[in-house]
Amino acid sequence: MEAIWLYQFRLIVIGDSTVGKSCLIRRFTEGRFAPVSDPTVGVDFFSRLVEIEPGKRIKLQIWDTAGQERFRSITRAYYRNSVGGLLLFDITNRRSFQNVHEWLEETKVHVQPYQIVFVLVGHKCDLDTQRQVTRHEAEKLAAAYGMKYIETSARDAINVEKAFTDLTRDIYELVKRGEITIQEGWEGVKSGFVPNVVHSSEEVVKSERRCLC
Amino acid sequence: MAVSPALLLFMDRNLLARKHNARFDRQRDLGWKLFGKVPLRENAQKDSKRIQKEHEDKAGSPSRPPSPKQNVRKNLDFEPLSTTALILEDRPANLPAKPAEEAQKHRQQYEEMVVQAKKRELKEAQRRKKQLEERCRVEESIGNAVLTWNNEILPNWDTMWCSRKVRDLWWQGIPPSVRGKVWSLAIGNELNITHELFDICLARAKERWRSLSTGGSEVESEDAGFSAADREASLELIKLDISRTFPNLCIFQQGGPYHDMLHSILGAYTCYRPDVGYVQGMSFIAAVLILNLDTADAFIAFSNLLNKPCQMAFFRVDHSLMLTYFAAFEVFFEENLPKLFAHFKKNNLTPDIYLIDWIFTLYSRSLPLDLACRVWDVFCRDGEEFLFRTALGILKLFEDILARMDFIHSAQFLTRLPEDLPAEEVFAAIAAIQMQSRNKKWAQVLAALQKDSREMEKGSPSLRH
Repeated sequence: MEAIWLYQFRLIVIGDSTVGKSCLIRRFTEGRFAPVSDPTVGVDFFSRLVEIEPGKRIKLQIWDTAGQERFRSITRAYYRNSVGGLLLFDITNRRSFQNVHEWLEETKVHVQPYQIVFVLVGHKCDLDTQRQVTRHEAEKLAAAYGMKYIETSARDAINVEKAFTDLTRDIYELVKRGEITIQEGWEGVKSGFVPNVVHSSEEVVKSERRCLC
Repeated sequence: MAVSPALLLFMDRNLLARKHNARFDRQRDLGWKLFGKVPLRENAQKDSKRIQKEHEDKAGSPSRPPSPKQNVRKNLDFEPLSTTALILEDRPANLPAKPAEEAQKHRQQYEEMVVQAKKRELKEAQRRKKQLEERCRVEESIGNAVLTWNNEILPNWDTMWCSRKVRDLWWQGIPPSVRGKVWSLAIGNELNITHELFDICLARAKERWRSLSTGGSEVESEDAGFSAADREASLELIKLDISRTFPNLCIFQQGGPYHDMLHSILGAYTCYRPDVGYVQGMSFIAAVLILNLDTADAFIAFSNLLNKPCQMAFFRVDHSLMLTYFAAFEVFFEENLPKLFAHFKKNNLTPDIYLIDWIFTLYSRSLPLDLACRVWDVFCRDGEEFLFRTALGILKLFEDILARMDFIHSAQFLTRLPEDLPAEEVFAAIAAIQMQSRNKKWAQVLAALQKDSREMEKGSPSLRH
């Protein structure tokens, strides 16, 4: 049976090839780390429920995209229907950090007329000795674009949960405040089953049963 | 629920006499094995099943190997045998002896059981014999197919390849020993690539790797327009992707037997076609070719295969042409599976979601490798149309399941197909797909859509970015 959720958010995960997008999502949705995984061709799909407050669950639909530049003309078509995004770079790969600008510029163009709430993710933070990007400069860049910054490791399960749930919470706040609204023909946010409604219908069933007795 | 039979056996064991322990231990073992799905046994069966399915002769329908369920049944049938001791045994000395009548009855029962058991054993032996004969027959038919391909078809390729007989044999799967040869012939060499050209391209690729590792960055004039950084990134990406190509096979990874071959083909291709370069997904195609051809021939087949219109459209990521392919696919989708088509439409499940991976890697990532090779067989024969027909076959095979799924479940299902797809069922589903829409064939539908999209582009260039 489908679990009860308040909203469904569609998140997109982007960033250069081999920064570890699929591994991060796998760790979050499947709870395990696969040291080798196939390159993503096109898109891959994952989903998970997140409880942001007791009894308040959000269903995350996560789109994992191919990182190679060539695929951008395909993947950018998917920005429009996403409400949130994780923009990954690899802290041991300077170039993947330099490309963050480019990724952001591109999403800006292709997400119109909607908006995406992004979080900047410095991935593979378990490889601190090979670090090529300091936390300070990443934080500065994130702040310049109005994003949060977080460092994660899929291998050691560091901050993986936090990266996704913080983003989910931020989006939820925006939805609650009415800054993001559910719109016909837009897949970014969908409303789900409200637990209250289900409770009352359960009560109806119960009382009916009582009547039959 | 799942543990209860084992638990029952355990309880039985405690309730019953100790001297029958042996019997129950054996049964308990079997019970456990059944839960664990007996990996060893399944593997042994899968192998023969696969061969059987792959190269099944049209003439006869093969008997399937027994399912684990039948094994249980068989064991229960034999159960009385192990209780004979209980029946025959004289009563303990401290009890009065059995009356003659009862002893006689027991003896009779015992004899009946023995007769029954013998019958069953005979049946079992016959079944095994039949199975063995079947296996021999399948092996013989593979052998025969190899002979037919080698002695009749390959020497007379030009006249025979499109004959009815060859087409039928082809559909059933090309025997692995001639597969590479047939693929090469069917793909052809329109580009006239020679082994020497491959050597030249490879030498240049090696030079670049060297200059890359020594930090040199001379930009060659002919590659102007493709920045050194871009090329470097692409060579770097090849390295990273090789180890991610069929990681479970453990043959393409660093130090594996096919690592250098895969590296060579992809590197040589980026020198041969700098305008296309390396695109993710290519490593899978090259890998499948390497498994069936030697390096230079694999390179020739690889380059010619990628030069086909559909593959060029995808690997150059010509977005509008890809959309035209998807639109053509949807025409046949609606024609063949109208209900599922409507369901997908309702859920906004567009073909790009699943087709991109299938077409880019020619199913080698999404289907079991032996099944993917069979798809390649017919793809080499029928061209791009068969890639889309296969997609429709897969959708048809899972039509009922998919019709009950929402967007995300369908998308997940299609991007991660079940690992144990039965080849015969997939091919039966593909065979049931009609590649004709209102008397128009694939190529005609595609051409018409291409014309439309070209006209639209001309009419309003602003629609394109």
